[in-house]
Amino acid sequence: MRYLIKNGTIIDPANRVATIGDILVANGKVERLYDLADLHSDREPVSPDTEVINARGCVVAPGFTDLHTHLRQPGEEHKETIASVSAAAAVGGFTTLCARPTTRPTPDNAATIRQLRELTAQWARVRIDLIGALTLGNEGQVLSEMRELAEAGCIAFSDGGRTITNSALMRNALSYAAALRLPVMVSCQDPYLAAGGVAHEGAVSVRLGLPGIPAAAEEAIVARDIALAEATGAHLHISRVSTAGSVALIRAARARGVHVTAEVTPHHLTLTDRWLLGWLEERLEIESGRSGAHPDLSLPSWLNPALLPPYDSSTRVDPPLRSIEHVEALVEGLRDGVIDAIAIDHAPHALVDRDCEYGLAPPGISGLETALALTLTLVHRGEMDIVNLIAKLTEGPAQVLNRSPANLRPGATADIVIFDPERSWVVEPEHFASKGRNTPLRGQRLKGQVMLTMAAGKIIFRRDDFGRQAQAAPQPSRLEGILGSE
Amino acid sequence: MIEQRRHVIDLDDFSATEIEEILETAESMREVLGREIKQVPALRGKTVVNMFFEESTRTRISFELAARALSANVVAFTARGSSVEKGESLVDTVRTLQALGADIIVMRHSQSGAPYLVARHFRGSLINAGDGRHAHPTQALLDLYTMRSRFGQIRGLKVVIVGDILHSRVVRSNLWGLTRLGAHVTLCGPPTLIGPAAFWTATWPQLRIAHELDPLLPDADVVMALRLQKERMQSGLLPALREYTRIYGLTAERLARLPAHAIVMHPGPMNEGIEIFPEVATASPSVIEEQVTNGVAVRMALLYRMAG
Repeated sequence: MRYLIKNGTIIDPANRVATIGDILVANGKVERLYDLADLHSDREPVSPDTEVINARGCVVAPGFTDLHTHLRQPGEEHKETIASVSAAAAVGGFTTLCARPTTRPTPDNAATIRQLRELTAQWARVRIDLIGALTLGNEGQVLSEMRELAEAGCIAFSDGGRTITNSALMRNALSYAAALRLPVMVSCQDPYLAAGGVAHEGAVSVRLGLPGIPAAAEEAIVARDIALAEATGAHLHISRVSTAGSVALIRAARARGVHVTAEVTPHHLTLTDRWLLGWLEERLEIESGRSGAHPDLSLPSWLNPALLPPYDSSTRVDPPLRSIEHVEALVEGLRDGVIDAIAIDHAPHALVDRDCEYGLAPPGISGLETALALTLTLVHRGEMDIVNLIAKLTEGPAQVLNRSPANLRPGATADIVIFDPERSWVVEPEHFASKGRNTPLRGQRLKGQVMLTMAAGKIIFRRDDFGRQAQAAPQPSRLEGILGSE
Repeated sequence: MIEQRRHVIDLDDFSATEIEEILETAESMREVLGREIKQVPALRGKTVVNMFFEESTRTRISFELAARALSANVVAFTARGSSVEKGESLVDTVRTLQALGADIIVMRHSQSGAPYLVARHFRGSLINAGDGRHAHPTQALLDLYTMRSRFGQIRGLKVVIVGDILHSRVVRSNLWGLTRLGAHVTLCGPPTLIGPAAFWTATWPQLRIAHELDPLLPDADVVMALRLQKERMQSGLLPALREYTRIYGLTAERLARLPAHAIVMHPGPMNEGIEIFPEVATASPSVIEEQVTNGVAVRMALLYRMAG
């Protein structure tokens, strides 16, 4: 099957392309890209076996890569399966997922990795790369056989959400990985400082009486791991950065040439710990007449935490949602390149595990299907340009993995996402393709939605009848505002 | 006119007027409790379930007496010996109690915020009898009632709360009530048991934070001591009990610095010899027993209002 994606706004950060144009896809590859100049010249007629996809008003970009997905299969198929996570990825515009080693049994040996590869080969509709466990059982006691894992095809090492507390072991892990030239992906949280904590330590945790996790719990380990990476020459990748102090530490380390990369999640970029208050806060502000006393700059006007009840377990996430000054530092770090990638930390849970007391709820958000719209709030608010945002979902993750990025150059694999950046929709978790309905965004109106996703030239998701018919009257591009500065 | 309220989860959504009304109603309930036959028919035919997931003596008995004095059917439910031990979730437990015909649930739970979860799944009324570190609204109301009966009004009172502030649900509910009614509150304790002052003043801007108790005493109208959990030492929040007692313990000697009209309160249960000394706990200026007695009247007042 051949496809001609017509009249889209093509944004291909890796090739520094941002143009209105057409893309011809054939045999699973990008065959040709027609830019504005080509549109006005004579072209060979469209062959009858080519489906024309009308992408007017939409962005056409390389498929997204997520560095941080929890597959759940095998071991917790009631939460998610490889089939359902693939479907969720397709709805969200992702064509590559990097699976954290949190499935059961722990992929800490080559045999388990091979079993996982068989499962993904059978069920996945997107590319799924595997990350091996850094230590046996992710327990932080004994290093896994990292060379064997590398030979079995692992693209990196990680202990999931756990921090290796033994600093000597951590140094050995980095040292070993350095020789294998693979990144070590760490989640940084000092377990003593974070002990018992379920919320960011600050005014909100004090007001709600929830045990806090201080920003320093993350920063202390980020500082340690940077020092160890510097000493060993390893590639350290810091997962889900959540504090201003971490951004500053990474900025300084990169400036002196340490090989450290970093990712941030959509929710840490856009939501604050005030979401834990739910409607409590709105009620108080109305009562006391001090509405707007603490303007929450992280909220575009159309996001409303008051749709949630107080202590809603959907806001429980690791690391916790932080306060506004941290969120601002994360956005700044992402914008100016200190943070390489947006990673989803897609962590589906079953409702039965989530409809419980806040302190007992397992942390995590089912995020693949809301990731684009949530991060687009940064674009709609003028805090980031759309080309940079797409780079953080395509080129950035590829750099972390030391591979050439998904792109739209002729000859490239046709991993393509088409999204309408202005389309407004309401988040209804019941309709998620993911089995995980755990999201704090239930009922929120978001702007920006994926219309079509193509993996290796095959359409793996199409919203309604998108692109099947030419629009009756050409509309002025809805992207003018967004692309105004280009 | 009394506006009917469905749930009592914290005092954060109580206006000064509503609190005053409850304290007035509690006054009438005290009168009932002084009668030969301590019972009125206000809740006849209603079922009150006391659902306690955490140990409690005074709060549980106080609620039970209050409900009985209003002629309600009272059922006690404790986590031990129930299906909770078999792993039933809180939501399932509440649905079961609802199916069994509970009209009012009184709940004590170790997890902050648990009452909001219950309120979402229960069609009747819920009264929070203490959740984690979050709230203990009936304790705060009985504290307010006790202060008011001693001083006539709350406005302008200088209240010092001393002890393990950070982990205390009593403090948080009292802060809402006391600040709404115009008291001046100072929180006092070691820094490890309070945390940064800004975390508190963000929500209660009028609040003062202090780490030394003695300088506050000559000017205080009310000193409220909090229970010091022994676990706090194990988690390294305090070097030693002895040091805590030396700086913050309410000894007779220390209380001699209070003005003559001042009162000493404690939400109980007390660690005598640690945060408060036996000779102080039972004699003037202590009103600790009065607090316990007032608890029944205040809880009757709440139950009465919620039954409509």
